[in-house]
Amino acid sequence: MDKYDIAVIGGGPGGYPAAIRAAQLGASVALVEREHVGGTCLNWGCIPTKTLIAAAAFHAKAAHEPPPGLKISGVSFDYKAMIDHKNKVVVKLRNGVAHLLKGNGVEVFPATASFAGRNQLLLKDSDGKENTLEAKFIIIATGCASALPSFLPRDEKIVESRSFLDLEKLPRRLLVLGGGIIGCEIACLAAQLGSEVTIVEILEDVLCVLDSDLRAEVRRSMEKKLNIKILTGKPLENIACNGNTVKGQCAGNSLEADILLCAAGRVPATAGLALERCGLKTNAKGFIEADREQRTKAANIFAIGDVNGKYQLAHAATAQGISAVETALSSRRQGREQIIPAGIFTSPEIGTAGLSEQDALKSNRKVITGKFPFAALGKAISSNETAGFVKWIVDQQTGQLLGAAAVGAHATELINEASLAIQAELTCEALGRTVHAHPTMSEAWMEAAHAVSGHCIHLPPKKS
Amino acid sequence: MPKLGQTVEESKILKWHKKSGDQVKKGDVLFEIETDKAVLDVESFFDGTLLKIIVNEGETVPVSVPVAFVGQPGEAIPDIPVPKASQQADTHPFPVTTSAPHHAASRPSAAPTAVVSQPAQAQTPGKPARKTISPRARQLAKDCAIDYEKINGTGPEGRITEKDVLNYLAAKKYDDLKITPAAKTLAVKEEIDLLSVQSDEPGQISVADVERAVAEKPKEMSKMRQIIAQRLTKSFTSTPHFYVTVAVDMTGLLQLRKQLKKEGKPYSVTDFILKSCALALKEFPALNSAIHDEKSVKWRSKVHLGLAVDVKEGLVVPVIRNADSISLSELHEQSKVLALKARDGKLTPAEMSGSTFTISNMGMLNVESFTAIINPGESAILAVSSIIPTPVAMKDQIAVRDIMKITVSSDHRLVDGACAARFVNRIKDLLEDTTTWTNMI
Repeated sequence: MDKYDIAVIGGGPGGYPAAIRAAQLGASVALVEREHVGGTCLNWGCIPTKTLIAAAAFHAKAAHEPPPGLKISGVSFDYKAMIDHKNKVVVKLRNGVAHLLKGNGVEVFPATASFAGRNQLLLKDSDGKENTLEAKFIIIATGCASALPSFLPRDEKIVESRSFLDLEKLPRRLLVLGGGIIGCEIACLAAQLGSEVTIVEILEDVLCVLDSDLRAEVRRSMEKKLNIKILTGKPLENIACNGNTVKGQCAGNSLEADILLCAAGRVPATAGLALERCGLKTNAKGFIEADREQRTKAANIFAIGDVNGKYQLAHAATAQGISAVETALSSRRQGREQIIPAGIFTSPEIGTAGLSEQDALKSNRKVITGKFPFAALGKAISSNETAGFVKWIVDQQTGQLLGAAAVGAHATELINEASLAIQAELTCEALGRTVHAHPTMSEAWMEAAHAVSGHCIHLPPKKS
Repeated sequence: MPKLGQTVEESKILKWHKKSGDQVKKGDVLFEIETDKAVLDVESFFDGTLLKIIVNEGETVPVSVPVAFVGQPGEAIPDIPVPKASQQADTHPFPVTTSAPHHAASRPSAAPTAVVSQPAQAQTPGKPARKTISPRARQLAKDCAIDYEKINGTGPEGRITEKDVLNYLAAKKYDDLKITPAAKTLAVKEEIDLLSVQSDEPGQISVADVERAVAEKPKEMSKMRQIIAQRLTKSFTSTPHFYVTVAVDMTGLLQLRKQLKKEGKPYSVTDFILKSCALALKEFPALNSAIHDEKSVKWRSKVHLGLAVDVKEGLVVPVIRNADSISLSELHEQSKVLALKARDGKLTPAEMSGSTFTISNMGMLNVESFTAIINPGESAILAVSSIIPTPVAMKDQIAVRDIMKITVSSDHRLVDGACAARFVNRIKDLLEDTTTWTNMI
């Protein structure tokens, strides 16, 4: 039987960086992947959606909002070519990951893994050939998958996000079930290419994880600029497929579309792992619980990324994977909790980091906020990108930056400065004193820090 | 500030339910107070308008001083200083009027005479003879969040100079500490000595590290904890305790209880224990007495049973009066009502004083046996443990019986070993002989 220091199940954004880090630390590493390295993120999630969104956003801007004085005519697109390009991007990055794994000496097994014991994995490849390997530490990085709930009819016009990205034709009418992050991103993507889009969300609003001021900004743009119809607080009922259309009803509205995208949650991928053979089980929600160092209840087994239920973010999985490997190999105690930022690629974009205002209120923590609108920022006005704002959430007592949010152009890039500041435990004052280059969108952070004390340079003083 | 009980010298206002300008009606809850025993609502005895609040939430003042004025809008309010609590409450510089409760809140015109002087500010248990330090040095130490008491001064008479602080910082390698800006701000605010903070990551001090140091700073205990600490320390250190334990076979009584429950008489095990104690105490008055001074003892003709009840921040001891003379069902009702009031924080000081003997029942907490500390002013306390099925010798057989251990703690100045032994055995006999109870009910 082959013996390794570390075996990683799953080659996504959690698993492959973990494997590379382990190899860097001198460990012998096996990585088991049943489909493609890069996982959901690279193959069917972040990367392909962002590839399409980049083109869609460009299209929308050229067609509807060119910079004043610029005349662009005959804007059109070839969706099939866009999908082909997306596939090329995916293959390029996937090959890059495979190359990095190989270069670091990680042995990649194209197979499905299940536990045979606390230190043993049973591998089965696509030909049914079996193999066993042994490892001192095992890292479960199997991620999660979008699933179609059982109440939906099985039909090719009803898809989840992964299949949506492989459609060769953009639906003229798209019905989106679920107004979460994935639902809203794809809704914006299709609407920016001219599709008629309707979102049905059973909760009171779309993007409910966000503070209400961020939601309001995005929702206004989605409804007013992209003409997306948003129905909230009611379920989608009587879903049926008929010929080339899929129909449903929501709060008395009869809805019709060419494609129904189901973006109503994802489920952790644990089926077939035979967890009982290593003494683990999933919790009530199906996740494999892990502690701060991502260790499961079995001391030599770690669970990282979506499968442990903490975040559903690629970069969180990466950070957890690296931390798990370092814990396993160096028995080094991990330092303080890391700030996990998040980017949402709607139109406009959203970035968040640290504590949200609504979570701060729920925890009875005394916070103050400082906001700065892009409409008051030189760079934003000059580049015609004035929608949105940035916001700091600050501890009232010490001025510590606890959280940040940005909504507007480049928000997903802007958020990283905020994340760094929060991770470094900067105070609002320290951030406000940090000189920011002019003219840049990032100046908004400095101004928003000044806004906390009511001393913005570029806003009129508040009337008391 | 109403005087709600004989021993209450000062109380803290926890919450105002009305604000200045609010209409108040007789019976409206005006504010909540915390005495040394409990949290209580204070109601208005009069109709009118709350004109002015002079003692704010969180402030402690002696009893009988005005805390607010109720009157008619526009009525003149006497200008009086805000009273401050005195730590030496027994010096009591404030006149106590007979109709103390609600008096002050209801008659503004009488108020100005109530407060005449401002007693000394509460003194924090201080450091002896603070070091002298120059203002610049003090500011530097403060900005760096370090404790200058640890610095040896080289100025005249050991005065700490700015240079001493700088040398100290250099010697301690202060500049090598990686302190996050927010951690430093918090340390300055909370007066935490950054040089003594233990950090998670060596060489780096984060907010979490300082927050831990803040959490570990000594802070004032609740009034209830302070009273528990003071009374029990006094009792335990000044009373010669000794302990006698017996095992009570509760099998028969549990069966009887089950049967009674079916008949609609839901007596609890505590009820039977309370009643047994009351009966036994009549036979052993030494355990129902109290040391008066070195040479004298106070005999008590009635049995008032204190029952220790576990509440959120400590424990309270409601008292069942005349437990020897009331029926089992009265006793059941009383103990039920008192226990509920205790849990809701609704006990009045009167309901928590005057006990002659106390029972501490940990039956529901799964304990095999324990000893209790005698309540001050009493000569004994009974510790009741859980009923545990136990193999015991019955004649020549081993049987599993429901055994409950009880331990009496006695004051040896008043009670001797044999007396305590007879007393607990009397309780045991009463509880084991179910005919006592069938005759009684």
